[in-house]
Amino acid sequence: MRRWLTEQPYRIANDLKYSPKELKTNVNVTQTSSLKEFFILIAGVLVFLVIGYGALGFLVDFIAPRLPYKIEQALSGPFEHNIFDVKKNKESEELERILGELVDVMPEEVGSYRATLVDDNRVNAMALPGGNIIVFTGLMNEVESEEELAFVLGHELGHFANRDHLKGLGRGLVFYSLFVLLLGPDSSLTELIGGSLAGVQVKFSQHQEVMADMYALDLLNRRYGQVTGAMGFMEKLASKEKKGRLAYYFSTHPHPKARIANIKSKIWN
Amino acid sequence: MGQLIIVIVLIGLGYVVGSIAEKRHYRSIISREAQLLHIPTVSVKNMIEGGVDIIDARMVQGSVVISIDHFKRILASLRNIFGGNVTAYESLVDRARREAILRMKEKSPNADIVLNTRIETSTIGRSANNRKSIGSIEAMAYGTAVSYRK
Repeated sequence: MRRWLTEQPYRIANDLKYSPKELKTNVNVTQTSSLKEFFILIAGVLVFLVIGYGALGFLVDFIAPRLPYKIEQALSGPFEHNIFDVKKNKESEELERILGELVDVMPEEVGSYRATLVDDNRVNAMALPGGNIIVFTGLMNEVESEEELAFVLGHELGHFANRDHLKGLGRGLVFYSLFVLLLGPDSSLTELIGGSLAGVQVKFSQHQEVMADMYALDLLNRRYGQVTGAMGFMEKLASKEKKGRLAYYFSTHPHPKARIANIKSKIWN
Repeated sequence: MGQLIIVIVLIGLGYVVGSIAEKRHYRSIISREAQLLHIPTVSVKNMIEGGVDIIDARMVQGSVVISIDHFKRILASLRNIFGGNVTAYESLVDRARREAILRMKEKSPNADIVLNTRIETSTIGRSANNRKSIGSIEAMAYGTAVSYRK
């Protein structure tokens, strides 16, 4: 058999011997603890999120009260499609009337509001961006007087007047944007957070709830000259409430008893 | 919430099972490398002058496909945010290439030398960073196994 290529550009000593040697180290793989790296990176992400959310959240709180009403209307587009089972009857007409009378005495000049009655057993009402107040029939069954209902509507109007819904919306948007920035729009985690975004924007802080209560008292005082209706509704909520005060620490609305205390102190002043 | 739990379970599973599999693979790689150490694997193209007669020369190739796990994937995507060495994938590529060379040598246990060794690496499942699929790496080593007349 012929010898392979003898015209080598280099020469190797004839007595070169191959002596196999095992390498003990592996330079191609960095010797680190992957779990440690994982937690350091997660911590980095969390720090980024907290700082980003805090900073942009402050910005949102600054901008929201200054946002012109026209822009607010434009932003509220997605909420115009009513996903609820809307009811039109005498009760809803009554709701519109009470709301109209409250809006007339509002000190600020802000957009148009409407109330929508929705067939649902929950004892609750919501302020949606765009000035739509959703009242569930469950709440309508609980209230006994016009003033009680007016307090609830006044509370939601208070959220509008303080631009709480915009702040909530803005913070939700900031939160979502940060996650998309970090994980990309295709990540399953982003999808998950996007799904819960609808919940984020209708929840307000406890401070915002207290301020809305105060606003409602003010409206009630302007409209009816007295605020006893507020107490009646709150006390009913408190007596039905089975949750302890501790559970309320983590929830969004202050405990009804705490709200009563706030209302009382406001009345005395 | 349920989705989050699934993600966390998959990451945990990926870490536990993935590190066990990797340790076991490295043990196997190291012991087989020691066994096949007598066959030099070089990248020179031509037989070096040295007065040997060749009695056999044939192409040999070995290839392997290794999948990443969810833990490695998350670790790498976190690394993508901050930059730096993607250590999670380093061991994966290292394992694949060494395994491919081992398989190539195992195809020619009687060879005296493997010349012109080349290693190719490719991804299988192009959507390696997509959310629902997990990528794999293929490493292929090939060369010319040569036997001398002794």
